[in-house]
Amino acid sequence: MVDIEKKKNLDKLFQQIIQQNLSSDAWAWLADKVERIKTEEKTLQLNLSFAQLPRMSGKNNLIVQPEDLAEIATLLPGFSLQGWTADRLARVWLLMQLPDVDKMVYLKKIKNLFTVAEMNELVALYSALPFLHYTEEWISTCEEGIRSNIGTVLEAILYHNPYPAHALSEAAWNQMVLKAFFNEKDVSQIPGLKTRANQALAHTLNDYVQERLAAHRTVHQEIYRLIEIGK
Amino acid sequence: MCCNDNFQERNKGERNQDVLDLNDINGMQFFDPHIHMTARTTDDYQAMVDAGIVAIIEPAFWLGQPRTGVDSFKDYYSSLIGWERFRSSQFGIKHYCTIGLNSREANNEELAEQVMELLPQFVFKEGVVGIGEIGFDDQTAAEEKYFRLQLELAKEASLPVQIHTPHRDKKKGTQRSMDIAIEHGLSPYSVIVDHNNEETVKEVLDRGFWAAFTIYPFTKMGNERMVEVVKQYGSERIMINSAADWGISDPLAVPKTAALMKKSGIGLNDIELVSFRNAITAFGQSGQIDEHDFIAIKNIDQSQKFASNSILRGGQQPRIDKNSIIIK
Repeated sequence: MVDIEKKKNLDKLFQQIIQQNLSSDAWAWLADKVERIKTEEKTLQLNLSFAQLPRMSGKNNLIVQPEDLAEIATLLPGFSLQGWTADRLARVWLLMQLPDVDKMVYLKKIKNLFTVAEMNELVALYSALPFLHYTEEWISTCEEGIRSNIGTVLEAILYHNPYPAHALSEAAWNQMVLKAFFNEKDVSQIPGLKTRANQALAHTLNDYVQERLAAHRTVHQEIYRLIEIGK
Repeated sequence: MCCNDNFQERNKGERNQDVLDLNDINGMQFFDPHIHMTARTTDDYQAMVDAGIVAIIEPAFWLGQPRTGVDSFKDYYSSLIGWERFRSSQFGIKHYCTIGLNSREANNEELAEQVMELLPQFVFKEGVVGIGEIGFDDQTAAEEKYFRLQLELAKEASLPVQIHTPHRDKKKGTQRSMDIAIEHGLSPYSVIVDHNNEETVKEVLDRGFWAAFTIYPFTKMGNERMVEVVKQYGSERIMINSAADWGISDPLAVPKTAALMKKSGIGLNDIELVSFRNAITAFGQSGQIDEHDFIAIKNIDQSQKFASNSILRGGQQPRIDKNSIIIK
């Protein structure tokens, strides 16, 4: 979903930000692990370092220069590092270094990380969706994540993540938006909310409004705006 | 571990009318280092946070019936570091876990082999504070084999070990567990021997291990007995837990026992050690316990709620009025 040139620039930019936010020891550890991950046939180094990473990087909030934030926004509209921690970006960047020459191996390695991930790992994995190779292959993974009821995991898919708007079918997109309202998420942070508004979503949201009103519950103002656009 | 087989014992005798008064333990913090929250309800979480429990450890164990495939183990371990941890955080309680193959299911060797392959993927996960609960149930050869293999894993990962001691033939099982741990070169200071009683405590402490006591009605320790143990042995390397699960157990066992100790004249410093501090010292050897998180988990969740404009008061999850017949 991001062309090769832009992906290269983002990769470089992320590396620079990580180096600025990690101690030199932690960066040396990460760089060494990346070299091993690039050459290993199996998954031992990947699995160990992906889990171990926060112990080395710490979990402080990222400090990012305003000009870097602006450049990122130009390279990948809708995406932002706002609210990210150092380990989250380092994990995403680590995944970006994984060789993709053998498609089946690449998919298998990353999908295996999903199956045993804890919460912060899931946040990083779903945050990485826009940067993974074989964009179409992650649709069902993304749909699975939308079913999560873990707040931070759902937010990693919803907030400043351009993957869903780019890749999801209309039905899956609508399901995600409905769930965002249902779980009282801040929908203003969902990229593509207005551009992907559609008639089916308007119908569903309309039903949802009726249901809320019948139950004497309040209705989010943004729902009415989306219904209006989708009509 | 569950359950209460002896219904006669459960129903006989006088009922004690002493009521827990939370004011007695107001302002105290508690750490329950052994509780199976996957078996408990949200009402329990609310009661626990009200009673002052700030953090817990959920040991991996069996699920009341044997699992038939390795993926069930994988999903269970994942739930301990995923959904259950999140559920706990919603109530402002910091959730840790120990990961291991329990003794009962070690007897299915074909499956146990596969679980042993899976464990290294989990031991370095965030918030995994030890290998547990492992040890003996029937004290079979297979149980011993996987106990030893997991002790080696703990040693390699520099993680504490949480040992389950058997219900039957407890004294011998406890001695044997300690012998094997020493044989594998583990420091007794990194091993928490659980489910002690008056018969086992002396040797466990004398040999330098941590002695955990499970306050669990009918089948394990009662808390009046626990008060006597602390009076006799003091508070060094002793900790209490509830081991609450799907059996008739009590998720408030730690605060209740602390309240009873206070009433019985045990000093506040000793109470703090056995109901909070010692567990942190022992399992903190994993490097995974940061006490700042006990406070942060309350603040972070509240701010998240405020950001999404939920109107919540006095806690993370909205409260419902349990006494009302109306459900809104």
